[in-house]
Amino acid sequence: MTAPTSAREHVAEVVDLHVELTRERVSLPVLRGIDLSIERGEIVGLVGESGSGKSVLGLTMLGLLPEEARPVVHGSVRIDGTEITTASAAALRDFHRHRVGAIFQDPMTSLDPTMRIGKQMLEVADSTAQVISLLKEVGVPDPARRVNSYPHELSGGLRQRVMIAIAIAGSPRLIIADEPTTALDVTVQAQILELFARLREELTCSFVLITHDLAVASQIADRIFVLYGGRVAEIGPTSELLAAPAHPYTSALLRSRLDEEADKQFMLPTLSGEPPDPRSLPPGCPFAPRCQFGEPACETELPGLLLKGDRGNACRRSDEIDLNGSASARQRWPADASVDLSTAVVEARSVEFVAAASGVFRKRSAVRILYGVDLTVGSGESIALVGESGCGKTTFLRAVASLVKPTGGSLVVSDPTPQMIFQDAGSSLTPWLSVGEIITDRLRGARMSAEARRERMLETLALVGLPEWIASQRPGRISGGQRQRVAIARAIAVPPQILLCDEPTSALDASVAASVLNLLGDLRRKLGMALLFVTHDLGVARLVADRMAVMYLGRIVEIGDAEEVLRNPRHPYTQSLIASIPRPGGARARVTGEPPSLFNPPAGCAFQPRCPSAVPACSQRRPNLASSGNGAHLVDCVLEERL
Amino acid sequence: MATVTPTEATRAGVAPRWRLRVLGSARVPDRLALAALALVLLVAIFGPFFEPHNPRLAAGLPFQSPNGAFPFGTDDAGRDMLSAGLSGLQLTMLSGIAIVGVGLLIGGTVGLIAGSAGGLLDSVLMRITDLFLALPAPVLAIAVVAAFGPSLFHTLIAISIFWWPYYARLIRAEVKAFAARPHMEAVRLARVSRARRLLRHLLPGAIPTAIVAASLDIGAAITLLASLSFLGLGAQPPTPELGSLTAQGFANLQTGWWLAVIPGVLVFVVVLVANLAGDAIRDILERR
Repeated sequence: MTAPTSAREHVAEVVDLHVELTRERVSLPVLRGIDLSIERGEIVGLVGESGSGKSVLGLTMLGLLPEEARPVVHGSVRIDGTEITTASAAALRDFHRHRVGAIFQDPMTSLDPTMRIGKQMLEVADSTAQVISLLKEVGVPDPARRVNSYPHELSGGLRQRVMIAIAIAGSPRLIIADEPTTALDVTVQAQILELFARLREELTCSFVLITHDLAVASQIADRIFVLYGGRVAEIGPTSELLAAPAHPYTSALLRSRLDEEADKQFMLPTLSGEPPDPRSLPPGCPFAPRCQFGEPACETELPGLLLKGDRGNACRRSDEIDLNGSASARQRWPADASVDLSTAVVEARSVEFVAAASGVFRKRSAVRILYGVDLTVGSGESIALVGESGCGKTTFLRAVASLVKPTGGSLVVSDPTPQMIFQDAGSSLTPWLSVGEIITDRLRGARMSAEARRERMLETLALVGLPEWIASQRPGRISGGQRQRVAIARAIAVPPQILLCDEPTSALDASVAASVLNLLGDLRRKLGMALLFVTHDLGVARLVADRMAVMYLGRIVEIGDAEEVLRNPRHPYTQSLIASIPRPGGARARVTGEPPSLFNPPAGCAFQPRCPSAVPACSQRRPNLASSGNGAHLVDCVLEERL
Repeated sequence: MATVTPTEATRAGVAPRWRLRVLGSARVPDRLALAALALVLLVAIFGPFFEPHNPRLAAGLPFQSPNGAFPFGTDDAGRDMLSAGLSGLQLTMLSGIAIVGVGLLIGGTVGLIAGSAGGLLDSVLMRITDLFLALPAPVLAIAVVAAFGPSLFHTLIAISIFWWPYYARLIRAEVKAFAARPHMEAVRLARVSRARRLLRHLLPGAIPTAIVAASLDIGAAITLLASLSFLGLGAQPPTPELGSLTAQGFANLQTGWWLAVIPGVLVFVVVLVANLAGDAIRDILERR
């Protein structure tokens, strides 16, 4: 069942791997027959949603399965000549030291917070000189000074670079990176992915890139493995797999992707349902319950992986079905948005926010988060606030919700009860109340009988596409997508004039996120709500928003029609954001470095230290918001003023 | 599950309802500990109804060692020790529960207000709490008894004054942690009234911790009460309280060993069972 083993050298070979892990005293089949081989110098992307088993596969290959989960492993994992499944503790130690490197999502948990970087790295390197050359290799600026830093003194991107330096220290043949860029900003992500591609060339080691994001994998991976329900759904060289997916799941993932080309007139094509739960896997094809091409035999027969040359897929019907035909059946939005720009729901005039930072040993210092934000949201209008972490987008949203009070400027919100949807739906719902109680609590202010409230609650559940039985469930017992729908239901139980959304889909699986975005777009049109949508994802912003405002360090640096801003970005920051979107063949990391610290903002234009087209004037004065082209497209850049 | 009755979804109620459900998945030793606690509670509550004699009156000859007619023997006045033990068990057990209950009520209220209000009110309430925490229990009990005369009721008041601040601190910390969760902001935006936010969306989060702490504390409360009574600062003879019964028995240790040993062993058993059950409850609630 493995890929044809020609003369090519295999660094890793996984054969018919089954892994069971114990959770809450129940043994769950997490991996169910995985075959995988990695060649020398190859980057393999392992793509899957939550519960697909991708991280467990990574941990198994590293020999790091948690003991307390009492792993039961069948099959063979042979990496660089070592059989991991049966290796002794001593052999595993040697394996970890010299053959394999590991990079995880959050370097802060992998690095020792009490030890200086240089000292930590001496555990894998022989001398401080080698530590410095390793740090230089992974692009840490000024490495001789950085060896004396503690992990918390480094930015997220630099910490991840240190982890990479540790991973390559033993000159491993294989590096396993589990969601290495998920916690990073998109401009930093592009830099890290570029670093992986460079290291692969220089060190001729292989990479396994585990990610939930097909786009991230497609940027640098030579081959992609799509995992679903603990099995391989599809394998193929990246370009071929993207161009012509053979498995309905891959095809659906690609179609629900939020790319720049999708037509906004239509809803996103979505998958019904959610990824399978290892506690209740169907007997047949794990994707069958969500598959539009399913036939009765799919539900009962577990399909094997059919290999044809480099490509393979686990769909029984892959030869008979026409995946492209299904793409044309797209649904238009049922209604048009009723936008009235003459009445403003939100009127912000140079809104400022200064947070008082306090510390016991530090002198009290204030940190300025918003430097005068001007924004008008018209009735029924949808605006996306886009930017990287620390740009102030969420603070502005919270000011509109009156969860924080601006320290300067004027902010008028005509809706007395604006509603907000939070990034982590689970923590925005009271854990010990039932869904029905959570929603009816929103209706208590209105003069309604208990019966009427309950009636309204059930109507609202139906409106957000949830079944009635959810009302009696507590939030902890339903899935992440359902929880976000419950949060939306509470927000619209009494329809607000404006709905504030704080990254509502960034914690959801791609196939689930698309349907939540569709729901928000649909509700906005049906209920005539304005939408103020905070996101770091330009694709999401483009889909949900009429207008887009790009923020950088507490300012709006560019604002205009969403389509127009994406197609014709004027501000160098917007341009580099767009260039950093992961895409097949490689995004271009146009900028270096990371967003500046709020405690120490640069002089002049905030973006000037990273800007590829900065001129001397940029560091001397702040730019003025200048209009570009038509009057609605405003850009905050010195270069624009000259034109 | 498919149909929901109106009362099920809209019923008000503060208590988190996952408690009984998790009991089903409890481990065997935890279940045994809880069963033992239930047995002790049953005996404590209903035992006095089955007393063969009035524990305050002589029932036979004094200083009879345990025999067929008097399984636990008789004391220096000929009173039945079985009856005295059953009454003492009830008094001691219920007093221990009352101390913890009153402590939870006062401490919970203070903790909820302090934790949810924050700022100056929080500081003032917590400094008052610190003040009470500084009081030494035996000295306070002696002072109360000296002022109002010795009685079980006065000792209960003294211990309760000393007991609640622990719960105030505990519940304040829990409430503060839950108050920082986004769900509190979400219900504020949903225009849920302040009282409802506190009692329904905030307080239940602190209940599991409070239950665990209280169940682990019942044994300690019983020990303290029995110790004070043993020293003569609590229940006075002929009130059958386990601590004072032990003290009386101690005076006659040479003539009747059982007079001190039986109430002493009862205290030991009750505290052991209460502690084991407290551990079991913690296992069950925190493993969730």
